[in-house]
Amino acid sequence: MSYLEFRSVTKRYGPVEVVAPFDLEVAEGEFVVFLGPSGCGKTTLMRMVGGLEQPSSGRILLRGQPLGPPDRRRGMVFQSYSAFPWLTVAGNVAYGMRYRRDLTAAEKRARTAHFLRLVGLTDFAHQWPNRISGGMRQRVAIARTLAAGSEILLMDEPFGALDALRRERLQLELRRIQREEGRTVIFVTHDVEEAAFLADRVIVFTRRPARILAEVDVTARLGPESTLELRGSAEFFALRNELLALVRSTDEEEEATAP
Amino acid sequence: MAGSRHRILIGTAASLGLILLWEAVSRSGAVSARFLPAPSVVVATLWTMIAERGLLYHAGVSTLRVWVAFLIAAAMAVPIGILMGSVRWIGAALEPVIDFIRYLPVPALVPLSIIWFGVGESTKIFLLWLGTFFQLVLLVADDVRRVPHEFHETAMTVGAPGWRRLTDVSLPAMLPTLVDNMRITLGWCWTYLIIAEIVAADSGLGFVIWQARRFFQTPEVMAGVITIGIIGLLTDQVIRAAHRRWFRYLVR
Ligand SMILES: Nc1ncnc2c1ncn2[C@@H]1O[C@H](COP(=O)(O)OP(=O)(O)OP(=O)(O)O)[C@@H](O)[C@H]1O
Ligand SMILES: [Mg+2]
Repeated sequence: MSYLEFRSVTKRYGPVEVVAPFDLEVAEGEFVVFLGPSGCGKTTLMRMVGGLEQPSSGRILLRGQPLGPPDRRRGMVFQSYSAFPWLTVAGNVAYGMRYRRDLTAAEKRARTAHFLRLVGLTDFAHQWPNRISGGMRQRVAIARTLAAGSEILLMDEPFGALDALRRERLQLELRRIQREEGRTVIFVTHDVEEAAFLADRVIVFTRRPARILAEVDVTARLGPESTLELRGSAEFFALRNELLALVRSTDEEEEATAP
Repeated sequence: MAGSRHRILIGTAASLGLILLWEAVSRSGAVSARFLPAPSVVVATLWTMIAERGLLYHAGVSTLRVWVAFLIAAAMAVPIGILMGSVRWIGAALEPVIDFIRYLPVPALVPLSIIWFGVGESTKIFLLWLGTFFQLVLLVADDVRRVPHEFHETAMTVGAPGWRRLTDVSLPAMLPTLVDNMRITLGWCWTYLIIAEIVAADSGLGFVIWQARRFFQTPEVMAGVITIGIIGLLTDQVIRAAHRRWFRYLVR
């Protein structure tokens, strides 16, 4: 039995078929990246895992159990509005545990401090989200999701709005945290390099309705570590080009089907 | 902050210039003092009215009426508006009725209000409530709908039960706009108050102004109007200052 399983999942909005029968198995602790053309249905798939949308047909199973309404096992990190502006950085992280009855106040404080340290925001604990950078706000959201105890992190283009340097730093951090905490991640991006760098496995999608065009097992090709040295290696470059070629082919498909 | 000091300076200078112009026009005799008494006369009248005619008492009565009616309206509008904005069928059920009442001009309802409540305090409170509740409740409902869905979804994915999202997400997210809307609605309250006090009152600034008009005491009419202006300006500035203080987190 796999950890997270899509079984012939489809999604339609009225007449528009957004997700074609979709099957995928994700292992526990795996970092899966969704890569695909704009509007192909990546966000929709992710929101279905989060319980924020219902499949039109098919099922999504977590440890063999059908998914119910949203709960804290499946945490979301959005691209924008990722932190509540009226709570401090620490308040936002603690918010992840607000509805947990299994933790005492002292435990919540300790966990808040722990996850703030993990994402490197201890010094900004009492700052307002509007006064820190976009990258820091994304880290707040990651810490909140981890503090909530989410097993799965659903991240929809979380680093899209960042400059190259911050982005790289955040990628390294995310990868480290995910390893340390043993969480499963589903990560959506348009950036081929980001996909190659972060993923254990990249799923490349066709245009809408979403189907799997290709699966690339990155770990098998590059090993399990994501380091900056790796980024300069020939293997990484080859993989990146391969992904780019796949993404391009979805684009040509578009031209081919155009009248 | 040089920019804001500059603005204050320009604003003060322009107001002073206007007052001086007014003084000059009145003194030149181009317009009869009966219609346009000089500002110096108005200020002197204001002073005698405070000292001898209990203007501050009337101002206090008016302010109290405004605040009582406004607080009742707000205390009802906020929870109802939040429900209307959050629960679709409640919004769908109430919106047409509220929209209809909102478009009724308050002055047109004065006779009805007097039939229902007589000429006592309840009529005035009712009219003010009428003028503000229905406006505010729709503003609140709209503000709730404008809360980014990401905020709600964040709450859901950390396990927030539905009703806690109202108090923990909707309310704090809309609070800054809510305070702004309340400030604006409070201003409208004064308009309705004066109408109510002119029609049916023996106290309050509206009553004072109307009395003065009957005896053609233009300086007193103006002094009354200016008192309302000053109260409005002060209230507005205090709420603005509080807004800046409470919602410091909005400053980038
Ligand atoms: N609530 C909705 N109602 C109608 N159509 C929708 C809705 N949500 C998404 N769609 C449509 O479904 C398709 C897939 O949307 P989705 O957001 O999943 O794409 P995506 O792969 O995340 O795209 P992008 O890379 O641009 O974020 C789009 O064509 C979109 O217009
Ligand atoms: Mg998307």
